[in-house]
Amino acid sequence: MPPIDANSLPALPAPFWFVEFFKVLGFTLHMIPMNLWYAGLILAVVLGAFGCEQGRRWGSRLMLQMPILVAAGINFGIVPLLFLQVAYAKAFYPATILMAWFWIAVIGLLIPAYYGVYVYSFGLRGGPEAMTPLKRAAGWGSAVLFVGIGFLFVNGLSLTTNVGAWAEIWERHSVDGAATGTALNLADPTFWPRWLLMFGLALGTTAAWTAFDALWLAGREGEDYRRWALRFALTAAIAGAAWTTVVGAWYVFGTWDAAVREAMFAGPVSLLTWLTGAIPWLPAVLLVWLAWTKQLTRTTVAFVAGAQLASLAVNAISRQVVQNVELRRLIPAGVSAQKVVPDWGPMALFLIVFVVGVGVLAWMFAQLTKATPEASS
Amino acid sequence: MHYPWWYVPDLTAPMLIALVSVVHVLVSHYAVGGGLFLAAETALAYRTQDREYLGYLKGHAKFFMLVTVAFGAITGVGIWWTIGLASPLATEVLIRTFVFGWATEYVFFVLEIAAAFLFYYYWGRLPEKIHVAIGWIYAAAAWISLVLITGITAFMLHPGAWLDPGTRSFWTGFFNPQFLPQTVARTGGALLLTSLYVYLHASLAIQDKRLHDLIAKRSAGPALLGAVLITVGGLGWYVFLPESAKASLDSAAVLNVLAVLIFALTAVVFVLLYVGPYRNPGWLSPGFAAALTLFGIAAFSTGEFIREAVRKPYVLYNVVLSNQIYPDQVAKLRVDGYLEGGSWTKAYVAKHYPQVMNTGTVATIDEKKLLDLPHEDKVRLGAVLFQHHCNDCHAIKRGYSAVGPLVRGRTEEMNLWTVEHLDRAHFFMPPWAGTPEEARLLAAYMTSIAPPRPQGMIPETGSPSPR
Repeated sequence: MPPIDANSLPALPAPFWFVEFFKVLGFTLHMIPMNLWYAGLILAVVLGAFGCEQGRRWGSRLMLQMPILVAAGINFGIVPLLFLQVAYAKAFYPATILMAWFWIAVIGLLIPAYYGVYVYSFGLRGGPEAMTPLKRAAGWGSAVLFVGIGFLFVNGLSLTTNVGAWAEIWERHSVDGAATGTALNLADPTFWPRWLLMFGLALGTTAAWTAFDALWLAGREGEDYRRWALRFALTAAIAGAAWTTVVGAWYVFGTWDAAVREAMFAGPVSLLTWLTGAIPWLPAVLLVWLAWTKQLTRTTVAFVAGAQLASLAVNAISRQVVQNVELRRLIPAGVSAQKVVPDWGPMALFLIVFVVGVGVLAWMFAQLTKATPEASS
Repeated sequence: MHYPWWYVPDLTAPMLIALVSVVHVLVSHYAVGGGLFLAAETALAYRTQDREYLGYLKGHAKFFMLVTVAFGAITGVGIWWTIGLASPLATEVLIRTFVFGWATEYVFFVLEIAAAFLFYYYWGRLPEKIHVAIGWIYAAAAWISLVLITGITAFMLHPGAWLDPGTRSFWTGFFNPQFLPQTVARTGGALLLTSLYVYLHASLAIQDKRLHDLIAKRSAGPALLGAVLITVGGLGWYVFLPESAKASLDSAAVLNVLAVLIFALTAVVFVLLYVGPYRNPGWLSPGFAAALTLFGIAAFSTGEFIREAVRKPYVLYNVVLSNQIYPDQVAKLRVDGYLEGGSWTKAYVAKHYPQVMNTGTVATIDEKKLLDLPHEDKVRLGAVLFQHHCNDCHAIKRGYSAVGPLVRGRTEEMNLWTVEHLDRAHFFMPPWAGTPEEARLLAAYMTSIAPPRPQGMIPETGSPSPR
């Protein structure tokens, strides 16, 4: 497709940095629960079926939290989706139209995946008799569906920047020049490492969540469980960091074209690139050190969770920078060169509502301190 | 025209929007009305210390959460998905215009989700006042979400003063002529639909007669108020429709029928509510409640369909035409060519028919050379034009408003005249946005997909009527 002159695009309603900031912030927040249903869910159903007693306990805990985590993940996912469409419409829409049936299948798969999680969690709440094979199968089904949804998402977002392949893909998947929506981006060398990379990050998030949950939220569990959970978190954190390093190296050194590599290893941006490669080890190393020095406490484990959050944030920033470089293939002047006519009034309204909304949320959660303990099931 | 077109056989891509939207609104209005119902009724049950009613409300809250937080939220995201695929240009315009409206709505959506979970999962564990307060936070957030989204969807039907560049702003777009009527109607819809769902749920879940009658009585008032608000809002909707939309209602047979149907169904629901739950709460059997719900859903779905259909030939009235171009692009496309004007159509011609491309610093399509192509190639390029100019509203040989049966038995010259005078022949069609040469290609294609005129009709075309 011919390159687009940035000046020909309609004006952005907010400065580009503002759009990018909320896109990255939203994606970082989205990754926390999304990682838990991506890697955590499959581990939970596996351990729920084949694990030791503590492993089953861990699986149950995570699956009981999962309906809320899925809701949070979908919710946070809306923010990057909204801002992606503001600044990147000319790349995002063509890509998703070329794979329209697969893209819309995300919605079709998400509904049974979400209800499957509920069915499994209701089975857990009802005690051993309530967990019928059908309810167990619903959990397995959800785990598979979420991995499949990740596969489709990576297809859509890698195709968004794989502008050079659009014409050829469209030629193969069109009728009378109209897209049939049956394409996937599997021939893109960046696709496979990108899909696998998220699994490594997801293992890291699952590890950090497990450690946090064990010391902050699992007050009713015994000391045995907490020891097991922290050991499990340690293993998952190391596995996740190693996975991220191996697949990340494949992605960076094996699939980036010269333009992206040059941009990502030039000047101060190279610091970001190296930091993105190194930071997934931070929570793992912290956990190892804290375990070694026997300093795993509620406070220190909060630092581990913070380190994982930082790892996700750095990853999201890096992805954004890479995406911007890749989209020079479509908008040579760069996506940031789009005209801006700020809509200050509505922006102010949003920011005020945002602050008030956070306040109301904080008030609601503060009320939970007045809650009586849940009757044990 | 930077976007490719998505071909959905038989149905057409925009009809997917209609399908997802109708399913979503049936849940999203319940998400609003259900919040009001749960907050108000839980407060009442606490006040009267009615343990049975609280028990029922807890069960209803679970049902509510499972339906709205999961299915409602995902189908809401599903609308985003489908509009981006089926109407990318209109979606781009909407998002650039109202991004902060959506972002603000998102904050309320987060409050809704958090409040819904806390309301249900902490049932019986929080002090009563706090529990009810969280219910009201949910209800308020959900209703404000409705208001914010309605401002944007109402804009699609009538942008009002936003159309004037001198007064164009987020605010003039948001507070458009359709905003208030649609907000009133949708608030009414939320109240009515929720009462119907509550009736259905209660009739299936409750055996106790006192509780059964209490719920029937309590929800009758909001339901009747909802029906009144729908009627008032619906009348306002009609009064503030653009002239072309009113004319569409008059001229399209299917819309005539649906408009009558919606009034008939609303009247039936109103009468059943009055003689049933309001006057005779004991009548509320599962069968009665199911019938009431079905009538309500039918009325609601019909209303949504009409609301969408009267916008033609626009996706955004006077802003984006249904075939994904701006009205002010039409004149240029008539000179340069529709195929030339689109990145994807031009790429198609360059790839498959390089002989019609002018070579120069910038390759362009030589419109004159299009007519030198063999007939089958003209038909093939006519198909490309059809996909990008017509398939947004018309399937091909069969399916939704298929063109083949519509032009059955017409000559190519008649089809050519129709193409060249699209918006003259039918005001609800977009104007032809191509060159005269391209009109010939499209006419050739239309003729190729039309079945012959049915045989045995008296009088035969061109012959005198037998007496």
